[in-house]
Amino acid sequence: MRALRLTAAVAVLALLGLLVWDVAHSSGGKVARDVDKGEIVKAPTFTLPLVASSGKLSLASLRGKVVVLNFWASDCVPCKQEQSELNRLAAKYASKGVVFLGIDEIEVRSFAQRYLAHYKVPYKSVADGDGSIAGKFGVTGTPETFFIDKLGRVVPPHIIATAKPSAVEAGIERALSA
Amino acid sequence: MTRTALKGTVVLLALAALVVAAPAAASEQHPSQAELEAILVCPSCHVPLDESNSSVAQQMKSFIATRIAAGDTRSEIVDELVGPPNNLGTAVLGVPRTHGFDLVAWVLPFLGIALGALAIGAGAWRWSRVRSEPAAVPLDPESERTVDEALARFDG
Repeated sequence: MRALRLTAAVAVLALLGLLVWDVAHSSGGKVARDVDKGEIVKAPTFTLPLVASSGKLSLASLRGKVVVLNFWASDCVPCKQEQSELNRLAAKYASKGVVFLGIDEIEVRSFAQRYLAHYKVPYKSVADGDGSIAGKFGVTGTPETFFIDKLGRVVPPHIIATAKPSAVEAGIERALSA
Repeated sequence: MTRTALKGTVVLLALAALVVAAPAAASEQHPSQAELEAILVCPSCHVPLDESNSSVAQQMKSFIATRIAAGDTRSEIVDELVGPPNNLGTAVLGVPRTHGFDLVAWVLPFLGIALGALAIGAGAWRWSRVRSEPAAVPLDPESERTVDEALARFDG
């Protein structure tokens, strides 16, 4: 009986430890919150399938470049409103080592592919099918835009809703100079 | 049981298995839109697909219709939503799958019931065990005399 009680106590303690570890190690959407406070934080890593073609893309593969990370969805009206400006800015900054990357949120792939074709999006998009990466970044809706510097750190600003071109350019300049 | 009765039982069991298995096999090979919408969940609003009108739910319904028309099986359609090409994850499943790690969700409740039954059985067995009577302790002469006197008073 004593051994049984000891085993139960150990099991409960182990589960509690696991819970504490998980809470301590999950970013839990801290990125957006910290960046909004003006802090520079390490970008959560991810490898996700490409939307328009086969294969995957890893954020780590873009290290050394400034990345404009835009969370979008095909049914999102503000995403459509900002798309032409994002396309223009992607072309404008390509020669400066700035890469635009779209992250499509929780969608059936063919709908996302149709959006990319319709809006002639010139840069790559990856599919965050289950929304887990959006969760890590603390994204609460679409569109949202983050700026990642050459060292893989997210720098302010973090743009919620339709991004004004001036705000995007300010974010790029900040990331280039970080 | 006679030989004829045994044969009859076997035939009956085989028929019963056929009655259960045939519709399941048909549903797997030729799933309907309604049954797939009933077992799948909208990953953004977490309600059954047939009760959701969210954007992703509508996309999933459209995808299901296309794949049914293309002749995909039920498992294929579910797998294509959970994994590639759509990668919506297991959040779209209304019930856990019956293979891989998800099988644990099906097995664990029965394992719990079996363990509980075992624990109750073991407890009942221990509780009902006949305990040996404690050995009679002889009275000291003084107490024995007192008891004898008391009994004699009752008898007298």
